[in-house]
Amino acid sequence: MASEKTLALLRRRLCDPSFVYSAFKSSPNGNYSKLKFLISNTITEACNNSVLLLGPRGCGKGAVVDLVLEDLKSELPEIISVARLNGLLHSDDNCAVKEIARQLCMENKLLFSKMASFDDNSQFMIDMLRECGLAHKMIIFVLEEFDLFTQGKQRLLYSLLDAMQTLTSHSVVIGISCRMDADQLLEKRVRSRFSHKKLLFTPLTTDDMQRLLEHLLYLPTDSSLPSDYLKEFNSNINNILSDNKFKEILDLLLAADNSISNIQRFLYQAISSMHFQTELLTLDDLKSAFSYHQRQPMLDKLQDASILELYILVCMNRLESREQDSYTFNSVMKEYKAIQDAYKTSDNYSKSVCQRAFEHLIERELISFANNRLRNLSVEYRPVRLLLSSQELYQSLKSNASCPAILQRLLNYETYR
Amino acid sequence: MAKEEGILLSPGRKTRSSSFSLSSSLPQNHRTFFSHTHLELLHGHCHSEESISLDTLTSSLPGRKPQIHEILRLIGPLNSPMLPLLLYGGPSTGKTISVLQTFRYLNRPFVYAGCRTCYCPRILFNSVLRQLLIREKNAGKGSSGARRCEKPSEFIDLLRISLIQVVNALRERNLKLGSEESDRGNMIYLIFDNVELLRLWDKSSTIVPLLLRLSEILKIPELGIIYISSSSPDAYYLCTGSIEPIPVYFPDYSLEDLHGIFMRNQSNPNLYSSFLSVVLKPFYRVTRRVDELSVAFHPLFEKYCDPLSDQCLVLDEAMKRRLFDNLQPHLASSLNDVFWVPSWASHQLKQEGEHRQKRFWKSIRKEASNELDFHMSMSVKYLLLSAFIAARNPATLDASLFDSSGGSNNPKRKRNLQTSLDKKDNMAEEILLKGPGSFPLERLLAIFQCITSVAESMVEDDHFENDFAIENENFQLTSDVLLQLSALCNANFLCKSGSCPLEGSTRYRCTIDEEMAVKVARSINFPLSSYLYRR
Repeated sequence: MASEKTLALLRRRLCDPSFVYSAFKSSPNGNYSKLKFLISNTITEACNNSVLLLGPRGCGKGAVVDLVLEDLKSELPEIISVARLNGLLHSDDNCAVKEIARQLCMENKLLFSKMASFDDNSQFMIDMLRECGLAHKMIIFVLEEFDLFTQGKQRLLYSLLDAMQTLTSHSVVIGISCRMDADQLLEKRVRSRFSHKKLLFTPLTTDDMQRLLEHLLYLPTDSSLPSDYLKEFNSNINNILSDNKFKEILDLLLAADNSISNIQRFLYQAISSMHFQTELLTLDDLKSAFSYHQRQPMLDKLQDASILELYILVCMNRLESREQDSYTFNSVMKEYKAIQDAYKTSDNYSKSVCQRAFEHLIERELISFANNRLRNLSVEYRPVRLLLSSQELYQSLKSNASCPAILQRLLNYETYR
Repeated sequence: MAKEEGILLSPGRKTRSSSFSLSSSLPQNHRTFFSHTHLELLHGHCHSEESISLDTLTSSLPGRKPQIHEILRLIGPLNSPMLPLLLYGGPSTGKTISVLQTFRYLNRPFVYAGCRTCYCPRILFNSVLRQLLIREKNAGKGSSGARRCEKPSEFIDLLRISLIQVVNALRERNLKLGSEESDRGNMIYLIFDNVELLRLWDKSSTIVPLLLRLSEILKIPELGIIYISSSSPDAYYLCTGSIEPIPVYFPDYSLEDLHGIFMRNQSNPNLYSSFLSVVLKPFYRVTRRVDELSVAFHPLFEKYCDPLSDQCLVLDEAMKRRLFDNLQPHLASSLNDVFWVPSWASHQLKQEGEHRQKRFWKSIRKEASNELDFHMSMSVKYLLLSAFIAARNPATLDASLFDSSGGSNNPKRKRNLQTSLDKKDNMAEEILLKGPGSFPLERLLAIFQCITSVAESMVEDDHFENDFAIENENFQLTSDVLLQLSALCNANFLCKSGSCPLEGSTRYRCTIDEEMAVKVARSINFPLSSYLYRR
């Protein structure tokens, strides 16, 4: 079935980061070209280099490094060996050096001993660098989450960058970080050994965006799909991309988060709705995918709360609007009883039931304890606070069909006139 | 699905094991115990699981049809890669069971790890690796023994190796398939449950970003990851940003959905639906959770059916009205209960098999709740009461309430007490807000000595009037009392509070509430209210 094959193809594309970011491979000023140029220069000139890739999350730093390394490996197969470290996993020096030794051993088919100590491993690393330098090979160190390596004493960074200073070593250190000030975090001695090359990943322009969408959505003409289906699909995509409504949706989407990964997720959700229904991607799919992005979790949680829980929230809101700085469950109960006495509603429940509803609200994270110091007290005596604003409460009470009218009146009184 | 014996077993409380095993009927007592090894065995014998059709899937989980369809869409067809998903919603909304049933329908291999049963990173890592190992064994390859790991870096290495081995094994198995076995695909899925607990594990943690970025770190396209959480996605935003998984929202059940859930597997649907039409709406205003409602409905339904001699009767309007009138008084009291635990007294009555009227039933319940359910020795009770008094009264009142002889019978003393009480008007407000205060050990023991000397004198007066003999225990401050103090601490009736840095002595807090203190006082005939500062 043609639509199933299309679906499979599109999903495979969207879940593969190298395909997504390869849209920008060909641009001459792009980071891909710059990085490739830097590394190939270092190889030909047989020197050492270091570079930092900085940019917000999801803008393609790791993918660009992967693409460059893949291309270089295919062009110059025997020359490059790669050691990858991640700041989340290897920020401890022992761990990091062990991992480098392990990866270098694996690449060069040497035996790795798990019992080797830190000194052995670092000595091995230095020897390896020297040997590779003499053999005109190159070692590339990729340090992801670079800012996490700068915590503590930065021994690993210092030893790496220091080892690069010798004449015989032949290596590149690529740091990837989402903090734009990652180089400011380096110590003085480390920073002096670091060449201050930075590649910044800036947000996409509208042309780039258009190119990305076309790259992702157009089906290739050499695939095994029937050609009339292919033409229909591509012309449909063309219509959608030039539609004004789609442009509006895209603007709204990118106003919140204009990273490539956001677009990737949005398209993934739109495409997955092709699974059951239609053969072509329609604007409705895109609109429904956008509506998922517009969810407001607080209002959803308020819609899920029961009537008693809404009473408690309204009581807490009234206490807050009277500018009581800290109040506990007992004060809330006093307010609740006062309301029940004044209005004689049918929702008068005992203290234990109200306490259970109170604990539900804490679980749902609509309210929370004001400080963690008094953890030994029971729930009734710990100060609490609301995690939502009066506006949100008001809005959700209005849109709740089964909410008793008195709650809205109670909320209005003393807050809005 | 599991068969019930006429007892209501709502799907919200159904364990994973009860939904997997087809013919065995699990008794209700086992519902909350979730055995880890049981799940591993299930994965081990995954060939013998029968898969279910889409209709069974959606009809067995009423109210969850749109969410199940969304999950199926996002997971996609066979062998198609997926981005990570985050399923979130309130507790007891059927997230875990929807995912597990969906995977049963899809018949694809998955690994399940719950962050509640695996309460620290080491156990979580080992559990995931062990399940992958079992899956490898089933796909026909030999294994190299169990692997253990402590650190995240080891975990990622071993996980990568295991996943690649499993994927290869699956691929080989699929190539050699006969016609009767179904293709289970090349992909393997990891399901992490209760992800919101991860945030509490370690304050400076790397475990939350590690787990949420697992797919980026591993870079294996045949891996699909699903996270199940009670908190909304904005609870997982990290300081340095993160790639968000695709969220799927599970709203709470609406009234119709709850009706559908409770109507499932009822032996007498008409009777139960008339019961629900009476009971569901009032309880819905208090709580919407399936587990709490089912606990409340169970005894009410028994009471509802009491007047009926024949449960298979078809109801007409008059009958319904009669049953409703019968139930009405119980409804009001049940709404104000959190849950009703039958004490041993009412159990005995049940065993005698007599049919009680509702007035007597109520009085039994009241009596049972007025007594202490467990036994404490006399000195422990006095100690507890003195702790309660020390916590509730401000320390400055002690001089007026107690003197060295312990008596507050002195009229002059009573006058002094009243005047000092009047001066402390806003103390009541403070106590209401801040709760019971902490007290140092010396104050506790002093109050204890005072009230026990009073009790001694009272006992001597009463001794000749009452028949029961209280042993004239020696209430002097022996080491026994101090031992019992530590026993109270272990039982969490008292807890240690922060100590004052100047004085250095430890302070304690009393954690029992007034109800319990009144029960204790009543059991030893101690006039508690005369000692408490009350407004």
